[in-house]
Amino acid sequence: MAEQFVGKASEFKDGDRQIVRIGEQEIGIFKHEGEFYAYSNFCLHQGGPACEGLTIARVEERLRDDKTSMGLHFTNDMNFVCPWHGYEYDMKTGEHVSNRKIKLRKYNIVQKGNDVYVIA
Amino acid sequence: MSSPKARAPKQTAKSATPKSAAKTAAKAPAKKTAVKKAAAKKVAAKKVAAKRRSNEPVALSGEDKVHFVKAIWEGVSKGGKDSGKASAKSAKTAKAKAPQVEILRRIPAAAPQNKKQNALSQKGLAFAAELEAAFAKGELEALSPEATQALMGAICKIYGANQESGNKYPILSGRMAVTGTDVMITCGGLLKAADLQVFELGMWQSWTGI
Ligand code: FES
Repeated sequence: MAEQFVGKASEFKDGDRQIVRIGEQEIGIFKHEGEFYAYSNFCLHQGGPACEGLTIARVEERLRDDKTSMGLHFTNDMNFVCPWHGYEYDMKTGEHVSNRKIKLRKYNIVQKGNDVYVIA
Repeated sequence: MSSPKARAPKQTAKSATPKSAAKTAAKAPAKKTAVKKAAAKKVAAKKVAAKRRSNEPVALSGEDKVHFVKAIWEGVSKGGKDSGKASAKSAKTAKAKAPQVEILRRIPAAAPQNKKQNALSQKGLAFAAELEAAFAKGELEALSPEATQALMGAICKIYGANQESGNKYPILSGRMAVTGTDVMITCGGLLKAADLQVFELGMWQSWTGI
């Protein structure tokens, strides 16, 4: 595992993404709420480009006490969606949102001044 | 001639306590032996290297052989003179082996929707938020049927006119969670109110492309 330079922090706006290839690995680097996150770009479903689909706030269905629906609502948590069949992953952990046991490989990010490195 | 002032620090350094003086005296021969041994190892290693270069058969004395084997066994000592060279070499190899980072794609963030809103739009947004909050609390009658009809009518007119004039935008924003059932009920209600059939809608859409 070595630090691989992937770009300048100033080049990433909040919400920007970058897909890089390092050796045999394809990695998606996200900037979300000022933090960097990096995940394997190979979807755990069928190997689709997991990090290249929509980013969308998590939808939650709120229920009344009698379990009837009060409708769907967006929460403040962000997910990203594989464009092939819609596997939805948690932006902060890489876990599949409806089955937390399924988790994308997460890469650590090191920021040295304005330089961003992925440990891969 | 040096002045007494200049000599003073020398004297201070020499005037150590008896304890530390004894320690230093004991350490000194050990240090000397270590330095001698290291030098001997180096000489032995150099001899072998020189012979190798000249392709001559290597003839070493017994002591030389011992030193040579020891030097090989110990390798490059950490922090030593040769360790710098060795680490530079290994860094070079590592650099050459390090996988290349290839940037495949850059995906920019979705364009922010922070267009300045006029006074009426601001009121509309605040009112919609109020309605959503009331609905979240389960207040289904927060808006009377008359108020709902008036609002729906006004929105239909303004949205339709915008679309026809070429100012096209989706009727619901991406961040709005409206279920398919909500949409079907509302669309059905609108068609019924205007006495339109679904096939008429389909035909009209295929003619106009809207
Ligand atoms: S490959 Fe990603 S959802 Fe199927």
